[in-house]
Amino acid sequence: MAENDILLDIRGLHASIGDKEILKGIDLTISKGEVHAVMGPNGAGKSTLSAVLVGRPDYTVTEGSVTFLGRDLLAMSPEERSWAGIFLSFQYPIEIPGVSITNFMKAAVNARRKAQGLEDLKPTEFIKMMKEKMAMVQMKGEFAKREVNVGFSGGEKKRNEIFQMAMLDPMLSILDETDSGLDVDALRIVAEGVNKLRTPEKSAIVITHYQRLLEYIVPDVVHVLKAGRIVKTGGRELVDIIDRNGYDAF
Amino acid sequence: MKEKIIDKGHYVDVPVPEGAVVVPAGSRLAVCYTLAGRHAFVLEAGASLDLCLLAFPGECDGLELSVDLVGEGAEASLSGICVCSEGEFPLKVTVRHRVGGCVSTQLFNGIVAGSARTGFDGRIVVAPDAQKTKAFQTNHNLLLGDAARAETRPQLEIYADDVECSHGATIGRLDESAQFYMQSRGIPEKEAKVLQMISFLSPVLEHVPEDRREEIAARIEQTVRSL
Repeated sequence: MAENDILLDIRGLHASIGDKEILKGIDLTISKGEVHAVMGPNGAGKSTLSAVLVGRPDYTVTEGSVTFLGRDLLAMSPEERSWAGIFLSFQYPIEIPGVSITNFMKAAVNARRKAQGLEDLKPTEFIKMMKEKMAMVQMKGEFAKREVNVGFSGGEKKRNEIFQMAMLDPMLSILDETDSGLDVDALRIVAEGVNKLRTPEKSAIVITHYQRLLEYIVPDVVHVLKAGRIVKTGGRELVDIIDRNGYDAF
Repeated sequence: MKEKIIDKGHYVDVPVPEGAVVVPAGSRLAVCYTLAGRHAFVLEAGASLDLCLLAFPGECDGLELSVDLVGEGAEASLSGICVCSEGEFPLKVTVRHRVGGCVSTQLFNGIVAGSARTGFDGRIVVAPDAQKTKAFQTNHNLLLGDAARAETRPQLEIYADDVECSHGATIGRLDESAQFYMQSRGIPEKEAKVLQMISFLSPVLEHVPEDRREEIAARIEQTVRSL
């Protein structure tokens, strides 16, 4: 594997919340274009891994390193990580009363353009982009005016996450339990959205408890996370083994 | 939040303040400005008052406001946008429902920054015969920084028995989870705070007369950016 094909390189990562160590030495390398599934029982550290990658302040990294496109990810602020091309689809998206989806996305898109030395997007271009990406997750026009996640159903919240992902066009998308609480139709819309964004250059980490989402978003590599460590790495066949035997076998 | 009932069961019929601005029966007064000192309004039957107070840094002087509803069917809508960054800003609001069938609403949202101290004293008095009164009061405060202080004292004094009244008050800080959510989308910390502050004040902005809304919204944005 050529060095410049590596997107994300996690080495010996330990992380805690308060005094409690949750990640106990994670090694994980993701190349461009790959989709990795991270599966594991409740409390294994799946959400902690995603939180640490996007720089959530309540977690402390105590050991190890993470490089993203050759840069020291852990030294970057959450917004810098976003500008660099990392996106997390939240398991529990946050409500922001009083802030419309339009204003929220305008601030996000233009902040990144500014970081890249570009001018703000023209209003007409921005509206066109909004419409295009909304259609991808089957959101109607009024959606743009709604307050971020306020009064959204579970399915709408997850579609909103994928919509934001489409708007920000990340290099690495992390989907944290995106399938939880979704019915089959919403799951299909979300998965189709994710699949439309796949390119040979872009990668994803799909964190999930069940195999259901992985029928739609097919992973190249599957990792089993248990008690803060990756205990098994393999191909798609691991999904079937977990489906049949659960996590006890690992 | 403190709630006190003064002299329960004994309604004190104080006179209408002298020099009060009278809103005559059936007419409407809508104003949106910065006030300081003592001001009183009297609403006759069917009169309505829309008062939106603005207090931006440098204009946060003490204010004592009283509104007397003296004729049936009068309606008072009182609101305020306060952004204070220094000094003390006491705001005292008294609404007296002297007759029945009137409606009063209050919505005061304040951002307290720097070393500023604000105090909201909101009193609603419903006279014994003022049945079918509707009176609502809300006061939300957002503290920025460790030196900022806010106090809120909503008080309801109700002597009638067929009324619909409520009050609510909060003092809080910027929501950190919303802050992080925005940062994770690439919105810088400072910009995320600005968006949250604008959204905190936006429910009051709806009370600003439509022809001035854009101007006040721009002023809010400019002000919260400088905090």
